[in-house]
Amino acid sequence: MSAPTEPATSNDIAVIGWAQTPMVRHTDKSETHLLMEVITDAITPLGLTRADIDFTCLGSCDYITGQAFSFVSNLDAIGAWPPKRDSHVEMDGAWALYEAWLRLQEGDIEIAVVTGSGRSSTGDPALIYPMEMDPYFLAPLGADPLTFAALQARAVIAAGIADERSMAEVAVRSRGKGDVETLLAEEFVRQPLRRHDVPPITDGAAAMVLATGDRARQLVERPAYIAGFDHRTECHNPSFRALDDSPSTRIAAQAAGLGDAPVEVAELQTAFTHEELLLRKVLDLGEDVAVNPSGGALRANPIMATGLCRVGYAADHIFGGGHRALAHSTSGPCLQQNLVCILEGRS
Amino acid sequence: MTRFVESTITFPYKRSLGPVVGAFMTALTEKRILGIRNADAVLVPPMEWDPATGAELPHEFVEVGPAGTVESWTWVVSPSEQHPLDHPFAFALIRLDGATTPLLHAVDTDGPGSMTEGMRVAPRWRGTREGRIDDIICFVPGETEETEGDDTGGAAEPVTRMDYLASITYRNPVPEAADRATEASRDQRLLGLRCPLCERVYAGGRGYCPIDAIALGPECEVDLPHQGTITNFAIVTPVPYPGQTETEPFVRAFVLLDGTDVIIPYSAVIELPADEIRVGQRVDAVWASPAEETEEGGGMGGSWGSLLGWIPNGQPDLTDPDLVNRIF
Repeated sequence: MSAPTEPATSNDIAVIGWAQTPMVRHTDKSETHLLMEVITDAITPLGLTRADIDFTCLGSCDYITGQAFSFVSNLDAIGAWPPKRDSHVEMDGAWALYEAWLRLQEGDIEIAVVTGSGRSSTGDPALIYPMEMDPYFLAPLGADPLTFAALQARAVIAAGIADERSMAEVAVRSRGKGDVETLLAEEFVRQPLRRHDVPPITDGAAAMVLATGDRARQLVERPAYIAGFDHRTECHNPSFRALDDSPSTRIAAQAAGLGDAPVEVAELQTAFTHEELLLRKVLDLGEDVAVNPSGGALRANPIMATGLCRVGYAADHIFGGGHRALAHSTSGPCLQQNLVCILEGRS
Repeated sequence: MTRFVESTITFPYKRSLGPVVGAFMTALTEKRILGIRNADAVLVPPMEWDPATGAELPHEFVEVGPAGTVESWTWVVSPSEQHPLDHPFAFALIRLDGATTPLLHAVDTDGPGSMTEGMRVAPRWRGTREGRIDDIICFVPGETEETEGDDTGGAAEPVTRMDYLASITYRNPVPEAADRATEASRDQRLLGLRCPLCERVYAGGRGYCPIDAIALGPECEVDLPHQGTITNFAIVTPVPYPGQTETEPFVRAFVLLDGTDVIIPYSAVIELPADEIRVGQRVDAVWASPAEETEEGGGMGGSWGSLLGWIPNGQPDLTDPDLVNRIF
């Protein structure tokens, strides 16, 4: 590794590649094993080995895995010898990406790998997530993700932003199957949500490679530069939030520079159909913006990697010749915390 | 075919409530519901800080409800074991009379057809209340609060703490390498895996090399010696906690296998009192008899199966001063 001649700036850091495991309802591989394979899949096409990686940041959640310090065993996937610079976030891999982006701005290193990984099938998400809620007022009631999503959907519908039909249309477009009339004839799973409004339970992992300056340009023809990056959070208890709005998404998008130039693609981590319709409005995305061409979280929802996959698909748009794309990730009930990353290609 | 093991993890938490949540919970035992004033608003549930600005709120409590209005709701068709009711019910955002924010709680009614935005509801209280949000079992349609069973009255002392039992059941895949290591231990074999790239050897059924980040399959298996040296140890004085079975101080030793770089960590010792263990002591492996039931392993340090621990073999101690550093 040659030392960079001058510190990288936040303007000169790019996604140069990524990989994801098969996204399945139930894997028989450990999380460490998933990561071992997906990191290899991400770096090998770039001609890199683990020895070339200057910094790693892994996003995962012990609650989901059911093993305290599971992220420590995940280190086995990065080949941490001789000792490496490493970090971890108990967040989606999109937040690991944010940390790596900050770290690369120090300018002393050139290549970072970030991951997101989760085996949702290990436990029952309907029973695990209530334990992460407010411990005094919400967890003792078993307040679960479906309940919060349903209450937000009702608010979004009441505000005229969505209706059951437009939500079904989102489901059909995202999954590329089914028809609206048939879906609307189904029973509610949590009124006003039907099964098609709800994400699948998915096991999987993703890994992404970042590089700075000339190194990025040497490794790939068209790096996906991170043009803007921000994340914001709101109050933890949905009782105190306007559920028909997402001010944290709006502020993060403004700070990331969404208003500076049009985007062609927006990959949104909207696990429930109404969330996509809400964020389209909050971000003021026009009909000319392709929203979730990947199928989004409604097609595959590997918790802790879903957001990083959004950035990956947005990067694919740039790698393929696109100019500008937005990726979004979220965490917490009813879109509590939101992250926006804007990628662009440069001639 | 991958084998899965099921395990249930429970955390019996005791949570401190603080001055605001504590006042709310204490009032619940008296069948009163408190909000906190935040300028012109009354927050329910009460918060210590303004949710928008983070400014600390003065402890100006306002009694609200007990009846309120449903602002939004959803219908739970199949309740989970964590839910407040064992039959279908509504979760609703309920704005209690006098409050400016809604409280999430359950509403017990005969079906989604009888739920409407704007409907009036009142609490159904538990007869015996502890100072928890589920002292309110649920809300019921109408203006009139109810109490289920004999009313044992309010708390004698302010409520300052709340129990919360978190319990989650997981199903995890058992790596094939761990099963093979356990199986080999039944034949009194100590199995290692040699990485074809770096040639390091790992024991305990770890199915990959953490240095080269590659999977290690059966073709990498090697037999390891049954004799070694204690490099380091800890004497654990058991403290009581739920699930603790130990009562007397016990040893956990780290054993370096002869002629290898392999450390067997966190091992039990046999016929070796805690006050006689030494760094450098020579030991032999002790195995369970084939008929003996042993744990399958997979716990701290690896899968060891029928390897029960280590016993002094009478050979002279090793005196290498670097031994003590070898715990990995």
